[in-house]
Amino acid sequence: MSNEYTDREVILSIRHVDISFDVGNKKKFVAVKDANFDIYKGETFALVGESGSGKTTLGRAILRINPCSAGEILFEGKRISGKISREEDRNVVRNIQMIFQDPAASLNERATIEYCISEGLYNFHLYENEEDRVAKVDRALQSVGLLPEHKSRYPHEFSGGQRQRVGIARAMIMDPKFIVADEPISALDVSIRAQVLNLMNRLKAEKNLTYLFIAHDLSVVRFIADRIAVIHMGEIVEIADSETLFQYPLHPYTISLLSTVPMPDPLVEKERKHIVYDPSQLDQSGAARSLREIRPGHFVFATDLEFEGYEAKLEKLEREKA
Amino acid sequence: MEENRNIILSAKDVEVQFRVRDRYLTAIRGVSLDLYEGETFAIVGESGSGKSVFTKTFTGMLESNGSVTKGSVMFHGKDLTKLKSDKDWEGIRGAKIATIFQDPMTSLNPIRTIGSQITEVIEKHQGVSASEAKAQAIELMERVGIKNAADRFNEYPFQYSGGMRQRIVIAIALSCHPEILICDEPTTALDVTIQAQIIALIRDLQRELKFTTLYITHDLGVVANVADRVGVMYGGQIIEYGTVEEVFFDPRHPYTWALLSSLPQLGVKGEELYYITGTPPSLYNEIKGDAFAPRNEHALKIDFVEEPPFFRVSDTHYAKTWLLDPRAPKLEKPAVIQDLHEKIKKMTDKGGAFHVE
Amino acid sequence: MEAENINLFEFAAFDELESEHIAAPRYSYWKSVWRTFFKNKFTVAVAILLVFILCFALIQPKLSGYSPIVTPNINNASMKFLKPSAEHIFGTDHVGNEVFDAVWAGARNSIIVSFVCTAINMIVGIPIGALWGFSKRMDRWMLEVYNVISNIPFLLLAMILSYVLGAGMRSLIITMTCTEWVFVAYFIRTQVMIIRDREYNMASKCLGTGTWTMIMKNVLPYLISVIMTYASRQIPTLISYEVFLSWMGLGLGTTNASLGQSIAMYTSYMNGYPHLFWIPVSVLAIISISLYIVGQKLADAADPRTHM
Repeated sequence: MSNEYTDREVILSIRHVDISFDVGNKKKFVAVKDANFDIYKGETFALVGESGSGKTTLGRAILRINPCSAGEILFEGKRISGKISREEDRNVVRNIQMIFQDPAASLNERATIEYCISEGLYNFHLYENEEDRVAKVDRALQSVGLLPEHKSRYPHEFSGGQRQRVGIARAMIMDPKFIVADEPISALDVSIRAQVLNLMNRLKAEKNLTYLFIAHDLSVVRFIADRIAVIHMGEIVEIADSETLFQYPLHPYTISLLSTVPMPDPLVEKERKHIVYDPSQLDQSGAARSLREIRPGHFVFATDLEFEGYEAKLEKLEREKA
Repeated sequence: MEENRNIILSAKDVEVQFRVRDRYLTAIRGVSLDLYEGETFAIVGESGSGKSVFTKTFTGMLESNGSVTKGSVMFHGKDLTKLKSDKDWEGIRGAKIATIFQDPMTSLNPIRTIGSQITEVIEKHQGVSASEAKAQAIELMERVGIKNAADRFNEYPFQYSGGMRQRIVIAIALSCHPEILICDEPTTALDVTIQAQIIALIRDLQRELKFTTLYITHDLGVVANVADRVGVMYGGQIIEYGTVEEVFFDPRHPYTWALLSSLPQLGVKGEELYYITGTPPSLYNEIKGDAFAPRNEHALKIDFVEEPPFFRVSDTHYAKTWLLDPRAPKLEKPAVIQDLHEKIKKMTDKGGAFHVE
Repeated sequence: MEAENINLFEFAAFDELESEHIAAPRYSYWKSVWRTFFKNKFTVAVAILLVFILCFALIQPKLSGYSPIVTPNINNASMKFLKPSAEHIFGTDHVGNEVFDAVWAGARNSIIVSFVCTAINMIVGIPIGALWGFSKRMDRWMLEVYNVISNIPFLLLAMILSYVLGAGMRSLIITMTCTEWVFVAYFIRTQVMIIRDREYNMASKCLGTGTWTMIMKNVLPYLISVIMTYASRQIPTLISYEVFLSWMGLGLGTTNASLGQSIAMYTSYMNGYPHLFWIPVSVLAIISISLYIVGQKLADAADPRTHM
């Protein structure tokens, strides 16, 4: 089991990253505290949390939109946070792309779909001639289930799902290695979410991509993610692979989140018990917490005392399931 | 069991049109609905299906370019579609039929204290003294789960979190003891953990105060949790309705199938999720046949020609699809949603929490 | 009948891509702008009037050859102060010249000056304002420049420049552009700042788009409507500046015709011959108002929200 993790190639490392914002009067609001994890090549890593948990802030730090106030971010072993050369910055743009939450807000309404999708190609001159560029745009459109005839249309002529696919196409045309998907389906209508999720999974397999999938909805994450990190108030409280997290959730916040996922089953819902997260049940001694590995690949944010409790609980769960 | 219950509100064949720059948009195309006293009815549909517009006819809150062009909404012997002025609506809107909206800030005034906003409604509708109103307001705030209500009485909306604001909106809505509470996506803007609390609060209050609840939502999980009966809306019509068990465990309309099947909760990792393509129809155009037909892989030829009537599945369950016509070929619902209850039982523990075997 | 019914209960063919087609006719921004603009009959009428006035003001003076210093009838008392008539459409003035010729020659110069100045202010102000809005570093010192320039009294500046450069077209244009562009730039800066941080601009940044391309493709297309509104107010404002300065004797000078010049000249005959004063004032008003209306309507039509 442990080999599985040590042997895998790390594509992105978040090393003890803090992100803070000035809020006036020399006060600082710390949005992300000591985030520390690796993302492996080819996986879908999900960052799950509520609004204000810092998940989007951290995602944007990878794209160099938000600066880190401490720690560093490495991509393929090279530092991409802080001051880097223009060339390295261009390299980040080529290799790391983003899919935005709201397709209505993230497309330029005054530009045609052809321009929206070609934008990255223009910036890096990733085409031989006009013909080649148009061919690339056509291929990108087709790969997301749209039609070449859509090129001359404007974003507002499309439905939400189609717009989101345009957003995906313009990121994919750059042939990135890593994609930060910030709640890519939560602004979409329920009936078309599945199509976008399938598309993302298909493109990942075809292009050998790695995803950081930012979400608040555990039901989506269970379907799409290989590993999951749960973030609460800027702190990562638990990291585990998807099956482990759903089977052996340890941190009370994770347990609380799991108890809120609604199920399309009235009989199950009638029996539903919400577990409210109560931080006062945690160790109040003031001892420092850190993210500790309790089983290979399974990390939980705990003090010494809490860690012992989690260990006992996990052993009990494992005995029950065996 | 539903037989002897009273109908509190009855909408018959309601049609709503909006005039948008010389064009007419038919947002609601002949919807009928009987609401039973004390029940929770959920209308589920995607944006543009008309679910909000339909319920706005119950409180006369249609935008000024829209009007009810056909049909009636009967409530206590009055046809609500005939009411025009704000004066006609007095005593009904906000008093007997109250609404909670998705964004609590649309109902709250940002520059007035929470307390004054609640007491104003109480004074207006119950005609009690200021001190009595204040006492009632604090009691209500406590009832909806605001701790230290007396201390927080003089705070402003921005000092409250999103979930707390929604609780205040609920307090205001309930201050005049409404008979019907319309909840228009009350939790969509809130975080998942808060969402569960608000839903539980509304349910507890309903048990205590015995009002009728009409939920409008796009979230089938919420529907499963709250509803006694469900109506599925698509393209300005209710296309299937029945008890919540009937609609979830024995759905008949292909659109209901599609909605249920495409839920990521039912997805199997590494496999494709069931999905539908395309977009809802433009309601500017006249819709021929079944509005869902162009997106429906199971569409019959007749779906493009003639609008299906409601077919009876049981006394409480009806669906508007030609698939139920005796002449139609037999078609099973998609495999993903067969034995739905067994499947979901396997992936949840006793309290309904997700787990993986 | 029965056979037909049975056929109808077959499954229909289903094509997944079929639902991706967009049925609505293709959208084109500029076509929609013109369509919206020409839909309103009143607007079209004002636009036709405006085009007629502009053409007339540009052509008529060429034919009449009017100049305020050419006064062939100055000694012919029977040609002075004639009332408007079929022969003398606007009558004649104190030196026996046709008021009709004087007004149109004046209108021509006033219009040219205001159009040229507006064009210069826009061409200089828009790109500077756009960069100003984008760059936080530039914002710091540009704000100081703006504060200094906006505190210089305009009249003082006009007087100094007219003493230094002498009266005439060139000095008037310099007077009305050397500080005005800052106000255009400041206006654009504020507009840019409003839309600079919108998500689609962040998306462009993530695709590696540079600042200048962002300005041209992401920002200015959104500002077409507000820029048109600004220009449609600036042109009549500058005409009135010109009139005011010429009236003060600081504008085009006595040798050039201008509306301000005519109004200044004829003010003294207000009591005996009021038409001398009111005719150029009315022409000024008609030009300003129709320019303003057409500009506003064009700005409205340029707002895509009106294109539904």
